[in-house]
Amino acid sequence: MIPQLSWYLALSAVLFTIGAVGVLIKRNVISMFMCIELMLNAVNLTFVAFSSFFRDVSGQLFVFIVMTVAAAEAAVGLGIIISIFRNRESLDVDDASVLKL
Amino acid sequence: MFLAFQAANPDLSFSLIAPEAIVSVAGVIVMMVDAFSRRGQRWVTGVLSIIALIAAGIASLWLWAAAPLQRAAFNGMIVLDELRLSFTLIFVIVSILTVLIASVWIEGEKLPAGEFHSLLLFATCGMMLMASAGDLVIVFLGLEILSIATYVLAGFRHTDVRSNESSLKYFILGSFASAFLLYGIALIYGATATETLPGTTNIAAIAGRLDQSLYPPLLFAGVAMLIVGFGFKIATAPFHVWTPDVYEGAPTPVTAFMAAGPKAAGFASFMRVFLFGFPIATVAASTSGYAHQSWVGALAIMAVLTMTIGNVVAIVQNNVKRMLAYSSIAHAGYALVGFVAAGAASDPLERNSALTAVTFYLLTYAVMNMGAFGIVTLIARSGDRRNEVDDYNGIGFISPVLGFSLSIFLLSLLGIPLTAGFMGKIMVFSAALREGYVWLVVIAVLNTVVSAYYYLRLIIVMFFRERTEAWEPPRIPASVALALVLTIVGVFYLGLFPGRVINAFNSRPAISLSVR
Repeated sequence: MIPQLSWYLALSAVLFTIGAVGVLIKRNVISMFMCIELMLNAVNLTFVAFSSFFRDVSGQLFVFIVMTVAAAEAAVGLGIIISIFRNRESLDVDDASVLKL
Repeated sequence: MFLAFQAANPDLSFSLIAPEAIVSVAGVIVMMVDAFSRRGQRWVTGVLSIIALIAAGIASLWLWAAAPLQRAAFNGMIVLDELRLSFTLIFVIVSILTVLIASVWIEGEKLPAGEFHSLLLFATCGMMLMASAGDLVIVFLGLEILSIATYVLAGFRHTDVRSNESSLKYFILGSFASAFLLYGIALIYGATATETLPGTTNIAAIAGRLDQSLYPPLLFAGVAMLIVGFGFKIATAPFHVWTPDVYEGAPTPVTAFMAAGPKAAGFASFMRVFLFGFPIATVAASTSGYAHQSWVGALAIMAVLTMTIGNVVAIVQNNVKRMLAYSSIAHAGYALVGFVAAGAASDPLERNSALTAVTFYLLTYAVMNMGAFGIVTLIARSGDRRNEVDDYNGIGFISPVLGFSLSIFLLSLLGIPLTAGFMGKIMVFSAALREGYVWLVVIAVLNTVVSAYYYLRLIIVMFFRERTEAWEPPRIPASVALALVLTIVGVFYLGLFPGRVINAFNSRPAISLSVR
């Protein structure tokens, strides 16, 4: 059986949903961060699937941009996480409650 | 039809991205100057960034004046129209005011000035790219350049737990929203494929392909994802919960910047993507017709929710920064009213005038908001501690300058006649009335009445309540004084003589990059 476009789309939708749900229910900042990366990579999968289905390279170029941006975001995100850990010694988001909702 | 965008020869035009180029090069230079300059000469970076921003402003005015023979460059990635240039000008104004307001705060807290200024310049470059994007790729790139710089700015006072927390929340929710936006872009890329052509992310090309889409369900999912992503960025109602926390915890000058700049940038690309990518359809019962009706309807509901939640929750706030954060949510709602009107307009001229109304509204909001936050910065003093409403007890007569200017900004935010806020509201509401959104305007006006409570409350606290503890008025440094003068003049100029600005924003009939 040859994999169809819809298989890839379904897989990336599932991965995206797992990432989105993970961000909402995880309590540890690092886990939330990994879930966001999962969402971005699910999108990359969508782009690559379309790109190869259309025989068009622009979708794959978009993936490179997304990967670069994700790397920059990871650097900044880890910096923020380290600075919050230094002041607080905890990475649980429930502790981050100085500012009430 | 879209062959023009797929021309084989690359059409590079560096003069078309002059403002962006100036600002980003200046960001690098500022970083270098900061690295090699001695301590005590740190004010240099502030001066350099103001010079760069003024140069970028002049460049955008030059692009305005030079009759735009060329409307797009880089194969449709960058567009040149009044929408872009007016937003570029708003961003330049916001960033200059931020540099002026932040100077004291940076001195007082002994923070690295060069880093602040270069991050601010990079954020400005991202905002400009968002306004000038003709392609969803550039929208995403500009958004990320802006966001990543702003995450760092929000956590700039890195020894303060509140600032850390603000930055963390902004980072998590901001990248969450970016992921949604990106998924929307991916789905639209897939859905715009036709029998013969691969998908596209060019905004103008999308409009031409909606009805030939092979997978309309993907298209609707993509539109929904884009609304969620942009809705987060401009802090509209179902997606606004991060706003008060982030705005309260971030250093006050950064809050001022975030409420005025990135919000306007979000509106710039939100409007461009939806008004030109999913325009009003000639046949209502078609894919493009359904897409158009659904986004206009969704935004109308979001506008109502945003205005109402923003104003009602602002009433119970006792922290001035939180109150202004909710007020900024409410103002995003008023601007959405104009956006809905622009979306519903069938005549391109009316659409352009509604678009101009929203742009003008965001300009007025930026000016009065920067002024109000400038004074809040002064009163909060070092450590950003004095932000409660009680800290404003009776300061009106002790320091009349601060008291009266803050009152002017609050009255303008409320929308009292003669001020900029009034003019902006009139324009947005009349645009909505022209399109027959009477119910939306009624709700908006009722909301304005509600907002009178919390704006006037602060004025009453300042002038009619006794001060119990001793209070010495803060010294007003020259840079903040300049910012205050500029914003007060701006509030009255835009309120009394708005014609010139409106004409410039609207001038030529072609604010369209629609495919011919």
